[in-house]
Amino acid sequence: MVLHLAIIGIAVTGWSWTNPKHDPPPRSISARLITPQPKPSPIVEPDDQPDRDELRKAEEQARKLAEQKAREDAERKTKALEQKREQAEKQKREEQAKIKEAARIKAEAEAKAKQRKDAEAEKQKQAEAKRKAEEEKRRIEEQKKQEEQKRQEEAERQKQKEAAERKRQEAERKLREQHLKATADQAAQAEKAEAQKQAQAAAARARDAQMMTESEKYQALIRERLKQAWYIPSSATEEMEARLQITLLPTGELAGVKLISGSGNAAFDNSALSAACFLNRYPIPGDRDTFERYFRQFTIEFNPRRLR
Amino acid sequence: MTQRILTMPLPQKSHTVTGFALMAAILTFLAATTVHAELLIRVTEGADSAIPVSIVPFAESGAIPPGDKVSSIVRDDLVMTGEFRSLAPEKMLSLPSRRDEVFFRDWRMLGQRYVLVGGLTEKAGQVQARYELFDVNTEKRILGETASAPVANLRSLAHHISDKVYEAITGVPGAFSTKLAYITLDKHNGKSRYRLQVSDVDGKRAQIRLESPEPLLSPAWSPDGKKLAYVSFETGKPAIYIHEMASGKRTKIADFPGLNSAPAWSHDGQSMLMTLSKDGNAEIYQMDLQSRQLKRLTNHWAIDTEASWDSAGKGLFFTSDRSGGPQIYYKENVNAEPRRITFGSRYNARPRPDSNGKFVYYVHQRDRAFGIARTNLKTGEETVLTRTESDESPSVSPNGRMLIYATKQGDSSVLTVISADGGDAYSLPASEGDVREPAWGPLTR
Repeated sequence: MVLHLAIIGIAVTGWSWTNPKHDPPPRSISARLITPQPKPSPIVEPDDQPDRDELRKAEEQARKLAEQKAREDAERKTKALEQKREQAEKQKREEQAKIKEAARIKAEAEAKAKQRKDAEAEKQKQAEAKRKAEEEKRRIEEQKKQEEQKRQEEAERQKQKEAAERKRQEAERKLREQHLKATADQAAQAEKAEAQKQAQAAAARARDAQMMTESEKYQALIRERLKQAWYIPSSATEEMEARLQITLLPTGELAGVKLISGSGNAAFDNSALSAACFLNRYPIPGDRDTFERYFRQFTIEFNPRRLR
Repeated sequence: MTQRILTMPLPQKSHTVTGFALMAAILTFLAATTVHAELLIRVTEGADSAIPVSIVPFAESGAIPPGDKVSSIVRDDLVMTGEFRSLAPEKMLSLPSRRDEVFFRDWRMLGQRYVLVGGLTEKAGQVQARYELFDVNTEKRILGETASAPVANLRSLAHHISDKVYEAITGVPGAFSTKLAYITLDKHNGKSRYRLQVSDVDGKRAQIRLESPEPLLSPAWSPDGKKLAYVSFETGKPAIYIHEMASGKRTKIADFPGLNSAPAWSHDGQSMLMTLSKDGNAEIYQMDLQSRQLKRLTNHWAIDTEASWDSAGKGLFFTSDRSGGPQIYYKENVNAEPRRITFGSRYNARPRPDSNGKFVYYVHQRDRAFGIARTNLKTGEETVLTRTESDESPSVSPNGRMLIYATKQGDSSVLTVISADGGDAYSLPASEGDVREPAWGPLTR
């Protein structure tokens, strides 16, 4: 829009600027009319002559009077002519002055018009510029305003965000504190429990050690009995291994035997199963806890070493 | 030779132990609730004694010929291995012949590990055997089959059952249906009488294949068990013969100047190792049996003899006194440098490798006594297996589990079988005179 206006403005101004060049002031014509001005012709006057003299003098006087009259007539005539010419000259001068004046007035008017036009164009231009400047200013202001608004909104948002963050942190902190407190409580409790446990453990350790010793004793007994009971088949190699899961009754009687992993050799696996089943009553500790922990269910691995 | 024996598996009877299993399941569940790591007991050694096995006399129906009972042949077979001991039938609390007659508790009380029960039914000259082997401890049947053979061939049937029982328990095929060849020497009308004989592994059903007033030596079985090679002095000097068992046809294959001895077949039966001294000194040669072409395998100023192929048939063991006294050497292949195997004493001779490539067996002298020893080919460890005075000519059973050798008993020489791991010796029934040079025949299917 601004550009359009600018283009229109430029077009109008340009047109109004070029228009006055079409009629220049006719100064040279009036100058030619003034030159050349004709000069008055020279008058020759007659010399005085004696008698005859009186005729001659009368004549002379008559002639002199005629002459004078002629002269006076001529003079009058010349004078009239002169007057007429002067009149014409004057008229002409006046006309010329008139024309000149008219031209001058016209030129002046034109100049004035032009000036006015220019001024107007300038004014328009300035107005346009001003408008544009104002528009620009308005736009900038608008922008500024928008930016300001935006900034304010942003600030508002930031503010809200910060508030939320503060809130969250606060909540977190509270939670942490709660948690810490809970942990601390727990720790205190655990410590208490631990102390209790330690006391129990000390007792249990003594018991465990006893159980372990007891267990090891019976493990060795079982191992020895199994060794006596196991007939390693002649196809056995030292790589063969069979694992059995043994389940015992509290009396030591075999409640169940299961081949967990075989050797791939049926004779070998059978020999292991047979050995495990041979012990129909396993040597087990009299202590029930030791039995439950170690001998209720256990694994036997048959894996020959030092085969002949 | 061996009659073909037909075998059929018996149907496995369903034997339910529901109550037992249920109880075990409950206990397993209870035990599973405890959290600690389960106890593991490792057993790395076994009983160092023979496995107690009861061979219950078989029930009989129909015209079963008199003589040795099938069950007692089986019993003797198993005991001969040195891996089993059997309960005498008089000590048995019952004589079951089928599963529902077996009271495991009784056998357990008797300390038995396995019980073999069965029955024989004769019908139109054929005897059918039905037999079942039970594990006394697990109360499970581990073998159940029927097999049949002509009435005249009850021993073959018995050896077949022995093979099956042995394999079921040990995981190794039995070698009871194989044959032995050996040389006997007795005096007949004041003259020496050498005989080449072939018998069952228990020494029974011996048949004389050749008789000669001159020494017979070194019988060697062809891989298919159809021929025997041996050394005979019948021409006044040693020569190597091949003897076809079925036809009795004999072929003299090596009669070179000097020594012709120690024949040993290749695994494909196409060639034979032998010791010849035709080139001045005892050396080992390989003869192509088709072309009779010889290839010399050793070349040493010392004596090289008693060669036999290793289990893979690529390398050979032999005896050489290149170190001063006889020792066992091994050539990885026919062109390789010999490597000495034995170092344990000053005299080690007549090597016989087993078919598994694990051991080589030989005559071993220590403290002036000759025994049988073996060396573990992987570890080089030597084990002396017999400590009698003059044991000789070891021969390994084709399954690698037994060893037969000749030994002195009083004034005469007898054959003895032991477990290849050593242990109790089982002497074959003595015949008149000396028995020597045993050769264990191959497994034939």
